[in-house]
Amino acid sequence: MALGAEALAKAAQGGRGFGGGRNRGAGRDLSAVGLAKADRVPYDGRFIFARLRYGGAGGSGFRRDPPWSHDYPRSDWHFMRIVEEITLTRSHRDESNVFALDDPELLNFPVAYMSEPGYWSMSDDEADGLRAYFLKGGFVIFDDFRGRDWDNLEVQMRRVLPEHRFIQLDATSPVFHSFFEIKSLDFRAYYDNDPVFYGLFEDNDPAKRLLAIANYNNDLGEYWEFSDTGYVPVDLSNEAYKFGVNYLVYAMTH
Amino acid sequence: MFDALFRFFFGLSPVIFGQGEVRFAAWTGSYVAAAAVLVAIGVTVMGYRSGRGTPRARATLAAIRIALLAVLLVCLFRPLLVVKAAVPQQNFLGVLLDDSKSMQIADNGGQPRATFVRDQFGAPDKGILKSLSDRFTVRVFRFSSAPSRATGEKDLSFAGSQTRLGAALSGVRQELAGLPVAGLVMVSDGADTADAALGDALLGLKAEGLPVFTVGVGQETLSKDIQVGRVVTPKTALKGTTLMVDVVLSQSGFDGQKVTLDVEDEGHLVSTQQVSLPDAGTPASIPVRFTVSEAGPRVLRFRVSPQAGELVTENNAREALIDVRDRKEKILYFEGEPRFELKFLRRAVTEDPNVVVTALQRTADNKYLRLGVDSPDELVAGFPKTREELFAYRGLILGSIEAGAFTGDQLRMIAEFVDRRGGGLLMLGGPRAFAEGGYAGTSVADVLPVLLDRGNVQPKDSVSRVNVKPTRAGSATAVTQIAPTEAASVEKWNTLPVVTVVNKIDTIKPGATILLSGTDETRRERPMLIFQRYGRGKTFAFLPQDSWVWQMHASIPVDDMTHENYWRQLLRWLVDGVPDQVEPHLSTERVEPGEAAGLTADVVDPSFVELNDAAVVAHVTAPDGTTSDLPMSWDGEEAGEYAASIPTRAPGWYEARLEATRAGKTLGTTVTHFRVAPSDVEYFDATMHAATLKRIADDTGGRFYHANDTATLADDLRYTGRGVTTVEEHELWHMPIVLMLLVGLLCAEWGYRRVVGLA
Repeated sequence: MALGAEALAKAAQGGRGFGGGRNRGAGRDLSAVGLAKADRVPYDGRFIFARLRYGGAGGSGFRRDPPWSHDYPRSDWHFMRIVEEITLTRSHRDESNVFALDDPELLNFPVAYMSEPGYWSMSDDEADGLRAYFLKGGFVIFDDFRGRDWDNLEVQMRRVLPEHRFIQLDATSPVFHSFFEIKSLDFRAYYDNDPVFYGLFEDNDPAKRLLAIANYNNDLGEYWEFSDTGYVPVDLSNEAYKFGVNYLVYAMTH
Repeated sequence: MFDALFRFFFGLSPVIFGQGEVRFAAWTGSYVAAAAVLVAIGVTVMGYRSGRGTPRARATLAAIRIALLAVLLVCLFRPLLVVKAAVPQQNFLGVLLDDSKSMQIADNGGQPRATFVRDQFGAPDKGILKSLSDRFTVRVFRFSSAPSRATGEKDLSFAGSQTRLGAALSGVRQELAGLPVAGLVMVSDGADTADAALGDALLGLKAEGLPVFTVGVGQETLSKDIQVGRVVTPKTALKGTTLMVDVVLSQSGFDGQKVTLDVEDEGHLVSTQQVSLPDAGTPASIPVRFTVSEAGPRVLRFRVSPQAGELVTENNAREALIDVRDRKEKILYFEGEPRFELKFLRRAVTEDPNVVVTALQRTADNKYLRLGVDSPDELVAGFPKTREELFAYRGLILGSIEAGAFTGDQLRMIAEFVDRRGGGLLMLGGPRAFAEGGYAGTSVADVLPVLLDRGNVQPKDSVSRVNVKPTRAGSATAVTQIAPTEAASVEKWNTLPVVTVVNKIDTIKPGATILLSGTDETRRERPMLIFQRYGRGKTFAFLPQDSWVWQMHASIPVDDMTHENYWRQLLRWLVDGVPDQVEPHLSTERVEPGEAAGLTADVVDPSFVELNDAAVVAHVTAPDGTTSDLPMSWDGEEAGEYAASIPTRAPGWYEARLEATRAGKTLGTTVTHFRVAPSDVEYFDATMHAATLKRIADDTGGRFYHANDTATLADDLRYTGRGVTTVEEHELWHMPIVLMLLVGLLCAEWGYRRVVGLA
């Protein structure tokens, strides 16, 4: 199936709007997002986008909002619209959840997304929580990081899964063929460096289940967020959605 | 007791009365006397028409007097009992002695049953056999599985592993055919172990008018005994499968006692549990759980340790044969929307070497993802479009996929997958499943274990949250055993997190069983896992749409195996017993050495249509390694059924590899096993079966005797009316009962007169 750029843009623009600016939190105070149960969309069997928050309640980062929230919530909601438009996945549109890594409720959502893992910090309890998430069957997408951010991702992941190592993926990996046939990983990224895709496999065996995928030197969330604004080329947004949809379908089937 | 009383009153045995005919031997004097009696009756009537006393008193006295005269009148006509009595030494008598193992049970006055046989029938010069030999030419036979001549005590070993009463009677009847036979005497405990009905043998005896006099040896109830009565196990199982089987225990003399019930797999203990014995005479079914972890033909032994004072300890253990197969059973899982249930279900059985789930995931309209396929062509065009393609799988799981995704023929194929192919179908809960998925009124709805009502569906996007627990019926199945022990399983079910349901199922089909039920937010009980057999196969309905919560939820430890155990058990059950294209059936799982094993095979084509023109050969390998090829022929009765009789010699395991070909193409090959060994069936239900022995006697015109009450046997046998006979006449007028009647009537008349004041 070809994913038409127009269809994507249209889908992303559908529904209620979020405003067109770069105001990531859409004016919201993000300090408590994901901490109160009442703020969450309760699990009801349908898929809900789950974003991971880290760095404590106040957050930290080089920009005004905490790094975990970059592109939130527009990227999450746009992505879910696309998923609902082109796949048969039953999901919550224009809603998403944010969880701390040790939040027990996170375990009701076997696919999670983390932005800016270069700024990721966590407590031991959070490391334990994320480890349980992975081992039970959870899948995490690491996105929006580059350069030396990688070092922090590796350091943190060694606290979570000390025995696991990231392995570079090529285009033959099943995750790139679960929905769209992604034949090449040449992706003109948002950052200057070429994007590289890394995977974390069960028992470090590429033949086994993929636990996490890391979009190094890449920022799919950015493309998802601005796919309805014209800030980025439609083709690139289109490609970013393809990767995201493949990740999701893979995580639901493997 | 009855006999003694009868003899006291009538002076003869009831057997003689039963066989004889009453006649009158009147002479001239009888008629004269009769005339006198009639006159006396007339005088009596006239005399009592008037006089003292009330009319009622006079009538009563007249009746008594007339009865008295009537008895006299009958006696004056000389009633005789005419019977045909066997002429001594002119007739043959067949004596059948039970030579089976059960005769070793010491319940005949504290002595083994065999002792009675030896003492009374061991030699022609002692016991009952002597009194029989005095009157008849006796032919003695011993029998267990078949009868053979016995010339003395030395021929009796009481080691026969079977008791076939019918075969023994038929065999002796034929052996004595053409001879003047007065009857047969069968000395046995009556514990028939034959598969064939006794009726056929009795029919032959009845047709010939040959009476059988049976002597029952032993007690009808053992004073102290524990018996493993029955164990129902599957004939085949996948390696690694956990089985729940019911073991039926019964006992006498051990009310309420706790014993240990063990299960051994070829000598290795695989299960042990403490059980309380049921009340005497009330068999109880005990669920037992164990795992078959070794492939090949396995003998499972279910054993209760012998208790002090038990009369029979051999019946404390029961063996069952299970052919444990180490092969991959392929299940097709068709999922209509991306959801986590598929991921976690596949993951649950990834480590299972014997269950393979091939998934066809519809990700978008007309777009499919194939997972776990064996070849590039498998499922390349989506869900199978031919029966051959679909029937290659042994199990089928339908996820959240609407009925409209199938053609009408595909829906019929799915129904036939269950009904004709004998496969297992499981429908999972989801917004596109059951009535919500439009299945009501389709062929698939016919085979499902639940009733679908298109007017009674769950509102869109509404979910019910349910706590799931096993029902009573479910607790007795392996699928609910989600933890290492039964107690741990019960505890685990109580703590499992809630799951969600989006299908409204209120009613199950007649014959279906609810194995898991759920309690929703309104405290309403709803069926969650339902099972039924349909045609040759079976179907399940599993309502929760997200059993993966049992893996992911925060309350579930990382190394918890609940979710894996549940799905492994359920999927193994789904494919359990699903037939191959060549499906063998053995008449019995254990054959006596030297006997032939009856083997049949159902042969079908890839679309599971019976074939009557296939070439079927059984390649048999004996325990010593010798091989032989036996052609199997269509039996001409059942479509697609081929039969052969496999001769056996040495004890041990025999392997039969059945191969069916047609037009040069192999249809299928299946391996089965059977065991050649002496049976232990003799020790089960080993009480004296008086009812069986009575039936034999009653149906053939003979009599049943207890071993301690055989005094009249020899005499009774003289009056069977068969063989060379002479006519005997027994006067009846001087029977004690006649005198008692006359005296009684006189006393009655006198007594009545006293009462009414006419004395």
